[in-house]
Amino acid sequence: MKTIYKKLLFLLLFLPFCVLAQNTIGGTVLDKITGQPIPGVNVNVQGSTTGASTDLDGKFRLSNVKKGDKVVFSFVGYKSETIVFSSQQSISVQLEEDSSQLKEVVIQVGYGTVKKKDATGAVAVLGAKDFNKGVTVNADNLFNGRVAGVTVNAGGGAPGSGSTIRIRGGASLNASNDPLIVIDGLPIENSTGTGSTSFLASLNPSTIESFSILKDASATAIYGSRASNGVILITTKKGGKNLSVEFNSMLGIGNLIKTVDVFDAATLRKVVTEQNPSLLSRLGNANTDWQKEIYRQTTYTDANVSVRGSLLGVLPTRLTVGKTYQEGLRLTNVFNRNTVGLALNPTLFQDHLKLRLNANYSNENNSFADAVESSAINFDPTQPVYDNTSKFANFYENYNHATGALTPQTTRNPVAQLLQTDNTGYSNRLFGNFEADYKMHFLPELRAVVNVGFDETHGQTSRYAGLDVASSGSNNNIPYGTNEISRGHRKNTLFDAFLAYNKTFDKLVFDLTGGYSYQKFESNTYIQGNLNDPNLPTTGVGGFPQYKVATPVVLLGYFARTNLNYNDKYLLTLSYRRDGSSRFAKENRFGNFPAASFAWKASNDFFKDSETVSDLKLRVGWGVTGQQDIGDAANIYLQKYVTGSGSSQYTFGTTALPIAISSAYNEQIKWEETTTYNAGVDYGLFKNRINGSVDVFYKVSSDLLVKGPLADGSNFSNAIFQNVGQFTTKGVEFTINADIIKSDNFNWNVNFNATHFDRKIDELIYHTIIRTGDNIAGTGTQAKVYQEGFAPDSFWVYKQLYDVSGKPIEGAYADSNGDGVINADDKYIYKNQDAKLVLGFTTNLNYNKFDLSFALRSNIGNSVFNAVNASRAQYGRLNTGADITNLPTSVVNTGFNNTSTVVLSDIYVENASFLRMDNISLGYTFPKWFNDKISLRLTAGCQNVFVITKYSGLDPEINNGVDGAIYPRQRSFLFGTNIKF
Amino acid sequence: MKKINLIVSIFSLVTLLSCTQDLDVISTDSTVKTPEALFSTPEGYKQALAGVYGNLSLTGTGDAGSSFLEGIDAGTSQFGRCLWYLQEMTTDEVVWSYENDEGTAELNRNTWGSSNPILLGFFSRTMAEVAIANDFLRQSAPEKLTSRGITNATDVANINMYRNEVRVLRAYAYYNLMDMFGKAPFYDESSAINSQGPEYNRQQLFTFIESELNAVLPNLKAARTNEYGRVDQGVANMILAKIYLNAEVYIGTPKYTECMTKCSTVITSGYALNTNYLNNFKADNNTSPEIIFALQSDGRVTQNYGATTVIINGQVGSVESNGADFGVGGWGGAFRLRKQFVQKFDGSDYAADVRNTIISGSRPIDITNISTNGQGYVLAKWSNKTVAGVAGSSSNFVDTDFPVFRLADAYLMYAEAQMRKGGAINGGTLANADATSLGYINALRTRAKGVSVGATAVNLDFIIDERARELHWEAFRRQDLIRFGKYTTGYNWAWKGNSLNGTSISDNMKLFPIPANSLKANPNLTQNNGY
Repeated sequence: MKTIYKKLLFLLLFLPFCVLAQNTIGGTVLDKITGQPIPGVNVNVQGSTTGASTDLDGKFRLSNVKKGDKVVFSFVGYKSETIVFSSQQSISVQLEEDSSQLKEVVIQVGYGTVKKKDATGAVAVLGAKDFNKGVTVNADNLFNGRVAGVTVNAGGGAPGSGSTIRIRGGASLNASNDPLIVIDGLPIENSTGTGSTSFLASLNPSTIESFSILKDASATAIYGSRASNGVILITTKKGGKNLSVEFNSMLGIGNLIKTVDVFDAATLRKVVTEQNPSLLSRLGNANTDWQKEIYRQTTYTDANVSVRGSLLGVLPTRLTVGKTYQEGLRLTNVFNRNTVGLALNPTLFQDHLKLRLNANYSNENNSFADAVESSAINFDPTQPVYDNTSKFANFYENYNHATGALTPQTTRNPVAQLLQTDNTGYSNRLFGNFEADYKMHFLPELRAVVNVGFDETHGQTSRYAGLDVASSGSNNNIPYGTNEISRGHRKNTLFDAFLAYNKTFDKLVFDLTGGYSYQKFESNTYIQGNLNDPNLPTTGVGGFPQYKVATPVVLLGYFARTNLNYNDKYLLTLSYRRDGSSRFAKENRFGNFPAASFAWKASNDFFKDSETVSDLKLRVGWGVTGQQDIGDAANIYLQKYVTGSGSSQYTFGTTALPIAISSAYNEQIKWEETTTYNAGVDYGLFKNRINGSVDVFYKVSSDLLVKGPLADGSNFSNAIFQNVGQFTTKGVEFTINADIIKSDNFNWNVNFNATHFDRKIDELIYHTIIRTGDNIAGTGTQAKVYQEGFAPDSFWVYKQLYDVSGKPIEGAYADSNGDGVINADDKYIYKNQDAKLVLGFTTNLNYNKFDLSFALRSNIGNSVFNAVNASRAQYGRLNTGADITNLPTSVVNTGFNNTSTVVLSDIYVENASFLRMDNISLGYTFPKWFNDKISLRLTAGCQNVFVITKYSGLDPEINNGVDGAIYPRQRSFLFGTNIKF
Repeated sequence: MKKINLIVSIFSLVTLLSCTQDLDVISTDSTVKTPEALFSTPEGYKQALAGVYGNLSLTGTGDAGSSFLEGIDAGTSQFGRCLWYLQEMTTDEVVWSYENDEGTAELNRNTWGSSNPILLGFFSRTMAEVAIANDFLRQSAPEKLTSRGITNATDVANINMYRNEVRVLRAYAYYNLMDMFGKAPFYDESSAINSQGPEYNRQQLFTFIESELNAVLPNLKAARTNEYGRVDQGVANMILAKIYLNAEVYIGTPKYTECMTKCSTVITSGYALNTNYLNNFKADNNTSPEIIFALQSDGRVTQNYGATTVIINGQVGSVESNGADFGVGGWGGAFRLRKQFVQKFDGSDYAADVRNTIISGSRPIDITNISTNGQGYVLAKWSNKTVAGVAGSSSNFVDTDFPVFRLADAYLMYAEAQMRKGGAINGGTLANADATSLGYINALRTRAKGVSVGATAVNLDFIIDERARELHWEAFRRQDLIRFGKYTTGYNWAWKGNSLNGTSISDNMKLFPIPANSLKANPNLTQNNGY
């Protein structure tokens, strides 16, 4: 890759100098009021193609200028200035802010754009200057906490790992709650490929120019069947006219912050003496902090070079090459990504034909590490990590030294598990799109756009472990090692075509877009199986190696949208989409998704000359969107038989035959529909120095796709996806941006957003209770449920009783149904994981060449089920098998003995409100380098600075509300360099 | 304007003609088949037949952790395991140590309610058997065979034999539902998919099971003449014998004569007691001449977390760590015996009885805390080793089949039916075993190298205890105790009614509640009394 880069760089560097022989003008462009230089100002000669733009210090140089030429200086948010060239060598131009233009931000809305000031729906846009700083390995790291109504939860500290992104809490129960993510017009599949860490990991965040986040149905309905959970449109950077090169690098060192409180060796000895002295003989003499042994200090490096310019003078090009290397805290965990991003965006035939090619290639080479947190918490601290006498590569293990057989039901050495297992993977992905946008020669108001997208990933994971690895598979308690390979292939193809008509009739600006979209998703996997497993089933059609082909999913739609703008005061948007999904039978296949929204720019009526109110827009919207993403259930409307794998056979006589059983099917399955109502205000005060928006929304999802109970005996399961039920979300969002101080050498800007929403299941299929989430300890111990009248995934637990001194009485629960028996029917709904209030705050301070920024996030009123304690903090666990199990110290507070009697007590539901500082970053920009050509900025920062919470576990920010020993987040200290020329 | 119209029309035409047929997606995976594809060959019918049988051994079509049921742990949802849990853990024979597996504490302590996941697992798994059986009967209907070109006489005859067997399996499913829940939603091959079947009470189910089995019996293969793994007349006769023996409980009408007839038929159909009692519970028990029907398990090709894998791993003691003796890794003392069961082997008569595999070691006999797996004796009846002492292919999934019916049971059933017919009643001391009955009882005791009993010692109380000694951990105990009037009152065991020494439980607990979600999903169903 390096050589290609060098060649291209050389080419790009060389080109502009070929034409230097002409008359040249140079100078500086400054802000009229502050006198600060303005970077990025377009400098063009009127009526010619000659142009340039200013650098970071507001400097420009324009060649090939003739005497008498009119040189125009223009920049978004400023009034244009024109200077007549009269052989000046150097000029200084001052631009004046144009308040009417200031918010000329463009929002991608799907198959087109609108100006932010003309937007009628609940949309948010984030440009590069708004992005989060610090460790931003995945695209979602850039906007976490920045947008009201959008939550991003990584759920732990695995490097490169994906996050759960929710816009307004999602709209479904069992169907997907993930927003649709569209990169340069290509909707991407929200599933992680083999060998990768997450589906967004293959996009280098430094190629991203902006995010448009569509929150309400009036904005999203153009995406019809996939829009119920909101849409995130990612736009990557384009090529430019002039050469610019940017180099970014960041180095970091990460450390473990906190571990689960368990007993140290001495205390455990004391506890064993008190609780069960007969076990004392089993204790060792070491003092091992297992949770510290499985982690390490990590390094992080991220480097990107981005070259933008015009190839051969006609082909605007952007090339980004990036490398990210991030170590996880677990000893062997590494995220390692190489990316190349290329964008070509030439225009032909006097701007009539715009072509755009975006190609992104990524190569991940990851080293995965097992989740050994649980073993580390459990492992007896009086035992050492290493043991010279051990037959397991000198690692201490619980085994019979005479026979070499592992002691069943004992914990395996977690350090050994990490160090002895080679678990790596790679993922090569190429994705992008090619778009041709043709403005008719004979009818310039009409454009025809064709967009072809592609996304293909090949990946592999392998796992190897030797015969001396206790944590590998075993037969008769003798490990047989691991030798496994899996490969995956995913493909996503897109074809869009639409016509866009745009015309201004006096006071009415009218546009109409109509088109067609087709997308197909395919995937297959190869699973070798563990070749070392003596019982690996290799016979039968389903025997190993298995080659599995997923049933493809095809989505196609017809869409139309019109925007009407009357007198720049009244704005109306109407959209309609008719979508077909291959998941449903012919009769139910198509769904219709209309939307309408209206906005009134009240400021243009009432506050035209107001000094205070510079902008005021009132919006109302309504729309219907759909949901069809029920994961693997590709065509459950059809009856299909699945034949058994190699291990699912039945023997007739002496011949084993893979069983064939019909999968449950539902011919009636169809769309889930979400109707959204939204009302909002966009405001700007004091020349928009303070601006923001307020939105209230109400969403109703009906015909819910729920995997709900079936009448037993009527089908081939007791549950299947059905369209029954209703679910509502109502909420409020508030955003404010304020330039508190704006002066020559001191600027202070803050951004704050707040979201409150309530989710409630109004009707659940057959009014049943459906249990959700993972088991806490033992089978069937899910702590969450869907139940009518409550938020989805509310905790369903026993009401703990306490003695007069306030100490919990083990196993004593309220007889909630009053039948005199305490059993599962006495569980009740107690709190849930949803925060009552989600807050985000960021601030930037600039003082001369210094800048300082930090970002805070807070959740208030959310609860977490502390499964670490629920499944472990009981004295009885000291000895459940042949080894001694360590316990969380919280057992001292409860004095509980038996896990089984307390595991679903409401005592484990804790308030997990928190305030977290994600990042603090200090930067210094050096004035000039190499004849003002090079700018250099250095930054130093800290990621994951602090968390303030009452939650007793490791981290209150838990995915899905159940804390079962998470991968801890690291705290990193970062040093960054940014060079531009 | 004309131009616009033209462009728009061309554009519309192109897009409207576009690939809507692409929305008809099909699976190209080699393990997924349409009904037409599967049932186009005779082999397909046999695979589907394997599905009807397989649902009793396996939980899904993937690996052992797969299941097509919801609301119940995949491994736990295996038919035999749920059956065993409900018939054994609710009695004096066993406790399950890991009560944090939801639902197990309620079974151990007789405190279950309608949201118990194991009840759901059993109800749903068994009703799925009904659905899978009905589907087979639909797909193999004569007109379907003709339309699919399956006309070869041998193929048609084979498939018709499959149909007979499937009807027996469906009757077996309803027999279990009748026993456990006293009612069930009724579906046969004419029922529509996703319909809500009517509720059949015990009498209706009894009539259906009896008439179905009698209808297919003559067409089934004679006992021990079908290939391994398949149903024959012996199985159908055993189910009939079971419903007749329990007829007084099920429908309030004694049918002891019918029971004796059926038992006699079974006893004379060629089965033989295995010379060694314990050989019925070993990795190669598929060869035992005593077993009439069993749920398959195989460490390689039929991997499941079902009854035998759980029992054998579970009987490994936490103190003994004796997994190697049974050819498994072991689950650290999951199952232990309650004192009242252990006492069935008290006395010198049973010192040498091979059925007494109880390991006491230094263990206390009393279980004062169910989670303390060092308390209470453990058992060594089952094994994943062959008769020759060779460990099964895998220590994780056993090769040992779970016997559903074996000849010894028929012996004891015959004796009991004969005595009840002769006037013996629960709690009565009438010793009226005839010579045949006594012969059967002593055949088992002799085989077990135990001491023979005389006619005067054999009353009903002896029979229930003898059944425990012979058939413990074989999923009959709850049914037997109910029939003998000892389940809810009149006999207590440790932890019965959630009391250390046991206490009476309400009479309604002779039936389990219909699982909450199953009840709601079918409005035709009514809940059992007291739930």
